[in-house]
Amino acid sequence: MRTTWAISKRIVLYIFLTGSTIVMCFPLFWMISSSLKTLQETNSPGIMLLPKHPTLEAYIAIFQNSDFLRSYFNTIFYTTLALLGTLASVALVAYAFSRITWPGRNVVFFLMLSTMMIPPQALLVPQYVFFNKFHWIGTFNPIVIPGFFAGGAAMIFLLRQSMAQIPFELDESAFIDGASHLQVFWEIVLPLVKAPLAIVATFLFVGFWNSLLAPLIYLQTVSLYTLPVYVSTLYNINSSVQQWPTIMTAAVLTTVPLMLVFFIAQRYILEGVIITGLKG
Amino acid sequence: MPKNPYLNVLAYAIIAVIFIAIASYGLGRLARLISKKMGASSRKQDSTFSGYFFAAPWIIGFLIFVIVPLGYSLYWSFTDYRITANVPINLVGFENYARLILNDTGFRSSIVNTLFLTAVGLPCMIAAALFLAVLLNQKTHGERVFRMAFYLPVILGFNTAVLLCWRLMLNTGTGIINQLIRAISNAFPPFSYLVRGVIFIQELVSGFFLGLNSGRFSLLTRVWEAGFPAANRVPLWVESPLWTKMSVVLLMVWGCGAMMLIFLAGLNNVPRELHDAAEVDGANSWQHFWKITFPLLTPYVFYNLVVGLIAFLQIFEPIYVLYRDNQPLVSSATSMVYYLWQASFRNFQIGYGSAISWLILLLILALTAIQFATQRRWVNYELY
Repeated sequence: MRTTWAISKRIVLYIFLTGSTIVMCFPLFWMISSSLKTLQETNSPGIMLLPKHPTLEAYIAIFQNSDFLRSYFNTIFYTTLALLGTLASVALVAYAFSRITWPGRNVVFFLMLSTMMIPPQALLVPQYVFFNKFHWIGTFNPIVIPGFFAGGAAMIFLLRQSMAQIPFELDESAFIDGASHLQVFWEIVLPLVKAPLAIVATFLFVGFWNSLLAPLIYLQTVSLYTLPVYVSTLYNINSSVQQWPTIMTAAVLTTVPLMLVFFIAQRYILEGVIITGLKG
Repeated sequence: MPKNPYLNVLAYAIIAVIFIAIASYGLGRLARLISKKMGASSRKQDSTFSGYFFAAPWIIGFLIFVIVPLGYSLYWSFTDYRITANVPINLVGFENYARLILNDTGFRSSIVNTLFLTAVGLPCMIAAALFLAVLLNQKTHGERVFRMAFYLPVILGFNTAVLLCWRLMLNTGTGIINQLIRAISNAFPPFSYLVRGVIFIQELVSGFFLGLNSGRFSLLTRVWEAGFPAANRVPLWVESPLWTKMSVVLLMVWGCGAMMLIFLAGLNNVPRELHDAAEVDGANSWQHFWKITFPLLTPYVFYNLVVGLIAFLQIFEPIYVLYRDNQPLVSSATSMVYYLWQASFRNFQIGYGSAISWLILLLILALTAIQFATQRRWVNYELY
């Protein structure tokens, strides 16, 4: 009696889990499916889970669309550059907050944590005016350069928590051998925080790749558009017929790098955040 | 515009790195000098130098990109500064703030919309995250795959591409979501009553809040007079002002995976002994959850509430992608940040936009402070 009850409970559990999985992944499935449909099929009533006449027309067309290809390149280019600068500076600052004792550290650390409360949008207006004065509007500078100054308090915090867990004996013996802080940072601390670094890198990548508001404001010309800005122009809000296969093809191609990065890093994210993100 | 934008930004990146290196060294030397003046030991002087040297990128960035802009925007919020006009900046005192709070119905409705989104969306999101976390915590086969599937929406997030996919799915006539609702309703009539009940309640609530925005409750009375929805009614997701915000709530709830991970961490920390003791006392699983697990999870609920509130108050992308320029629909969905964008970057009213920025900032700080002030009443820290 007890076992049948346990088994049926188990079955219900799996039904719920599978159902939730389908719901959560459905938009992705729908995106891929719609990208292979024809225009009539996407606009026709009725449930058509898979295209009746699968076609790669939209893919072929979009690979001949130079605006799309350029925005793809722009996104990869700016994400890489901003990611490198941000990751390096965030790691340096996290090192200062965890491995060195210096007067004022707690005050500066508290200040840094409190910046998490400031919505980035609140800074948008004055920053825009400054970048306008520098003649940086219409260049990649405003969306790349600020990251070099350790943008992202949450990321610093995450790295600091994991760096603080490394035993201090390791640095002490290195210092006795005459190592400098830069050497300890590069040779001892960084190799030991590879997993948190991977998490931070993934979050930063996703953040830059998905970012819409800042590129929208600063880039201004089609030749500089990043994917989110360009893809949003494909959807014509005041038209009644949308080119859904084209839009969904662009959407699929936009999400492919995100998926790749997620599949590579999921091992760290899904377990690592639990260990490093909250505890410590 | 530079001839080659790619080389241009590369050059500036190199300049930025050199600038940071020099400035960091300078800041470190300055800190060492001060600590020497205060008579610190040479070892302490060294660590002062290194500390400020390593932390300098953030300190400099904080000054350049946070403190100075905040100061300027505070000043501009008291002026009539417009970026396009070549006229001198005039101090106007509290005029911007007075206009925003007293006269600007657009801004007022953007606040009501955002608070409505938060009040409806945040509890739904936390409930969904908790539900998924409890499911995953049962230690099943293939847990990793389920975890990945539940977290995936967080990665895809508010990318324009994904938002547009939702736009396609939410189409009233041909969208897959409404098609599925119709199909299930036809096959299983009680589901139809459930859906229509939800539609009715949702439209009444939304109608009431839209009435608060404009001061006219005509939509609400129309919904009320129409009575219980007819058999073939489906949600009008992105087509009716009554539904625009619900579509956004749906999107937010879909992205509850990050909260779910936090709850999973919390569930892992619930001691086994407590459940064993309850087992002996003959508690059922419902009691297990509400009497043991949930009280111990309250710190995690609190964390998710704080983080989620900030996320909700900053919503911009869905509104921009789904409703931008869609008159008259957009006014029913305008969020605070969307309104800020519109005033500052469409109309280039920098003074006015600065005042909006400061009001948003103060609102977020105030609501977060309220959360922290009331946490003692319900958050249980006994375990920690």
